[in-house]
Amino acid sequence: MQKARIFTAKIKLKLVKSKSLCFPFWKLQAMSLFLIKVLILFFLSSPQLLCSAECPLCPFLPADGEAGEWRRDGQFRSYSGDELYLYIDGGAEIYHEFGFRRVIVQDYINKKGKSISLEIFEMSDSESAFGIYTFKTGKKGSEVKIGDKALLEDYYLNFWKHKFLVTLTGFERDQETGEGLLNLARVVERKLNTKGSEPFLTSLLPGKGLIETSIKYFKGWLGLFNCYPFFPKDIFPFEEGIKGDYESGETIFILKYRDLEEAKERFLDLKKGFSESSRHRDFRLGNDERFELKDSRGNIILSTSHREFILIFFTSDSKEKERREEALSEVLEHIQRVIN
Amino acid sequence: MKKEKIRRREFLRRSMSLGLGVSLGNASLSKIIRRAFFLTDEGSEISVVTGSDYFRNTIKAVEALGGIAKFVPKGAAVAIVPNSQSRHPGTFTKPEIVRAVIRLCKEAGAREINCLSWLSKDFWEATGLVHVIEEEGASLRLINREDSSQFEIIPVHRGKILKEAEIVKELFRHDVFIDLPVVKDHAGNRFTGTMKNLMALNSPRSNRSFHREDWKTNPDSVDYLDQCIADLNTVLEPALCVVDATEFIVTNGPFGPGKIIIPRKIVAGRDRVAIDSYCTTLWGMKGEEILMIRYGFEHGLGEINLKKIKIKQLGG
Repeated sequence: MQKARIFTAKIKLKLVKSKSLCFPFWKLQAMSLFLIKVLILFFLSSPQLLCSAECPLCPFLPADGEAGEWRRDGQFRSYSGDELYLYIDGGAEIYHEFGFRRVIVQDYINKKGKSISLEIFEMSDSESAFGIYTFKTGKKGSEVKIGDKALLEDYYLNFWKHKFLVTLTGFERDQETGEGLLNLARVVERKLNTKGSEPFLTSLLPGKGLIETSIKYFKGWLGLFNCYPFFPKDIFPFEEGIKGDYESGETIFILKYRDLEEAKERFLDLKKGFSESSRHRDFRLGNDERFELKDSRGNIILSTSHREFILIFFTSDSKEKERREEALSEVLEHIQRVIN
Repeated sequence: MKKEKIRRREFLRRSMSLGLGVSLGNASLSKIIRRAFFLTDEGSEISVVTGSDYFRNTIKAVEALGGIAKFVPKGAAVAIVPNSQSRHPGTFTKPEIVRAVIRLCKEAGAREINCLSWLSKDFWEATGLVHVIEEEGASLRLINREDSSQFEIIPVHRGKILKEAEIVKELFRHDVFIDLPVVKDHAGNRFTGTMKNLMALNSPRSNRSFHREDWKTNPDSVDYLDQCIADLNTVLEPALCVVDATEFIVTNGPFGPGKIIIPRKIVAGRDRVAIDSYCTTLWGMKGEEILMIRYGFEHGLGEINLKKIKIKQLGG
């Protein structure tokens, strides 16, 4: 607004100084000022036009009227880099682990005073956005066709598209708010004119019986730790990893390393860690460099390394040893087929 | 502005007045002091009230422990520390619980009740807690997080990693303080409850130091964070903890949005380790699985074994 006032004042000054006008000066002045005000109002109603230079994510915010009766409520907030700690405090680290660039937050309100919060996170790349999407979404919820993938859960909706993760939170749990989440999401999706792809690692999870919404992709210890608290310390750091749950009750972790040598080294660290862990028991070495043990929840854990990967396989006590070994071998075969 | 490092004698004087007996660095003496205040002959005691009326159940939970007068002396200046970190559902302490605690303090004859926070006012407006605090005649005392003179450097004698804390100076103007967390998931260490909530009384600058600069590659990151939190708890001891375990997120914490579970429980007591250990079970975990709780137990801050905790279960 300050810039608009200065601009208006400069125009007034130029008009006053002008000597070449034949048209009545006062009429020209009035028309010019009217035009300027119209232009200012136009820009203000379209945040993306006014502030895209200073605010890279502003162009993706729905303008008033674009999503039915939902209109902006208050000014947007944006945070980039370490500023995320000001917004999310201790919860910021997981975003940084995935590769966070910036976020914009804008509230929306409808005529009945119902409220929705919109957050658009820009991550470092498509894989990072996919990863933080899997972190933020649960197993239950309805998949909706928005973006590269989207899940509507109870009172909130997450979707990812290319390097963006979009989160919409409704503050009332009713049909109107639910529809508002979808409408706003669709507007944002249209503005994000790009498409992403899932990390290669997702293809290494066998598809049969896989619960798609259970997939978690991670790029560091924090992501892994939130899936399962292996150890207090990160003793087998990896480049990237993935986890999937199965209808059979099994869970598969696949961790990727730089190469075969590194995977073998880390596997030895993992083996040592488990064998010395007070929270695990019945550690046993198996065939082909595999090992098996139990955790305090009664899960049987099998692990092996294969090429540049480490596999960690969770299954229940009820399965016989031969069947467990067979299941792990099937996963290895699947990985081999995909890589070949 | 130059940070003020208080002398040990002055610190001890202030600590004793705040029930900070454990800060003496003498485990036996601190145990005696703690026992005198809140441990029964049978061991740790907590109360758990289940039901939909969160206001009434908060009062019931405190009554089950002997009533508010046991924790708040008449004429005391009371500080309260609810969680207002995020406005997403299930992430902040419910207004009804805060309201009930303020009323209880007034009933006990507290001369003033202040909510201390270095978060800006928008956080408190977004959750509605500022209105409840003001309606009940208490005050929201906002601390300028960038002003180091608002924080006092306190030595952490029993800290295994944390050697100094930077505590909100305003806290020392009060006679007692009440910890009012909401339990929920936390991406940093999987759980937040009574112990982690006390980071709200430590400066943001000091809190950031709980995270290693090289946390992305350092294998000790989570371990380090949780040890620092446990260490911090050796110099801060609330007169009472009243925990919102009613409706809270168990995914995507601490900020949300996330999956909400609704156990409808108010948990109260003085033993932070016992309370946190109990609360982990509400979504299928165990106290021993959370490093912070384990380290709190190792510091002698309370009981981690649920079998050794007297849990008074009441319906609301």
